[in-house]
Amino acid sequence: MASFEDIAAGFQMVGRDGRLELLLEYSDKLPPLPEAYQELREAGLNMVHECQSPVFLRPEVHNGTVRIIADVPRNAPTARAFVSILHEAFDGATPDAVATATDYPLRDLGLADLLGAQRTQGLSAIYQRMKHAVAERSHTPIAADSADSA
Amino acid sequence: MSTYAHPDVLVDTDWVADHLDDDDVRLVEANEDVLLYDTGHIPGAVKVDWHTELQDPVQRDFIDEAAFAELCETKGIGPDTTVVFYGDKNNWWACYAFWVFRLYGHESLRVMDGGRKKWAAEDRPLTTDAPDLPAVSYPVPEAPDLSIRAFRGEVLAHQQQDGPMVDVRSPEEFRGEITHLPGLPEESSMRGGHIPGARNVPWSNAVNDDDGTFKPRKELEELYQQREGLGPNDPTIAYCRIGERSSHTWFVLTYLLGFDQVKNYDGSWTEWGNLVGMPIEKGKAKPTAADQ
Repeated sequence: MASFEDIAAGFQMVGRDGRLELLLEYSDKLPPLPEAYQELREAGLNMVHECQSPVFLRPEVHNGTVRIIADVPRNAPTARAFVSILHEAFDGATPDAVATATDYPLRDLGLADLLGAQRTQGLSAIYQRMKHAVAERSHTPIAADSADSA
Repeated sequence: MSTYAHPDVLVDTDWVADHLDDDDVRLVEANEDVLLYDTGHIPGAVKVDWHTELQDPVQRDFIDEAAFAELCETKGIGPDTTVVFYGDKNNWWACYAFWVFRLYGHESLRVMDGGRKKWAAEDRPLTTDAPDLPAVSYPVPEAPDLSIRAFRGEVLAHQQQDGPMVDVRSPEEFRGEITHLPGLPEESSMRGGHIPGARNVPWSNAVNDDDGTFKPRKELEELYQQREGLGPNDPTIAYCRIGERSSHTWFVLTYLLGFDQVKNYDGSWTEWGNLVGMPIEKGKAKPTAADQ
């Protein structure tokens, strides 16, 4: 697990092509959806409807630890990479770490210019969904009603 | 395919498979998803990204003539190369890239019917190997071909003369119930609705859901001509939100149905719906003769 800030620093150190390569690596690293959640996904629950790709995202909180349970098809590699970054940064984190995390994840990762407004909106929706779900399941109010205005 | 007005602009996956090694053919993958090409593409294909490569990084406009020529050179495309576009999302961005290449007068352009989805569904080869590109030189085009691009002043004059227009957004956007594409809440407009008099034919109605290929000509004629009253000899303007979906409809009207004067209004609703004082209509389109 690496903090979101560390991951973002890695993205900031490289140029546009480097960021695409990093995204591709993250896209490959998303762990498979645990079998126990297959049924929920098949039933169309926990889908991020704002996203054009079929993104399944179910953040949970167990004993003060956040679990990011997610699945994104391989034919939507950008959304898959972004979810994989969230998994890397927040699976195993405290709810407080999620609540106080950046309000501008796409800008921080240097992806706003790379993707353009059209493609960042679905990803922003994924991020907000994660923050709200973690806050709801841990009763931690989120720091601000954030929006990534990339 | 052969019944289309200009069947030569469309190639099928078999044709592409047979021409992978042709020196005078360049495959171009243009996708919604910026990473998809990098996960595997048709052997020899180059990627053209609509956002980072076809648009000016500062001003809201396409790249200029010099940048277009440079882009072609970096992609191994010479002025006589046959460029075959394909992509995800039913060739949405492939048609957009096609339109930009036509804007700069590139002669030999094709779209692979069914796009990436059909190629992959047929279990044809995909590779992550970078293509081996020839060194080419591309002369800077003289000027964009504005016979296929409409600007707002022209669209307003066209509207005031009751000129035919096709709005290719979703019915909800057309009626003014939402001001953005589902899933894109921030790429929005101050006002919802459509340009008065426009017909509403969502762009994806032109393709078959199952394999992403274009519908047969008869079905397309029914969709645009019989049902909506659009005519192949009338100057027609297509628009959507930022001019991407409407470039797909521009392709369908121009090449598959043989309309001879179609322009894409790329300013589209994100321009019109934010300008002060523009006429706007809300709700459904008025009935046509076909409805009565």
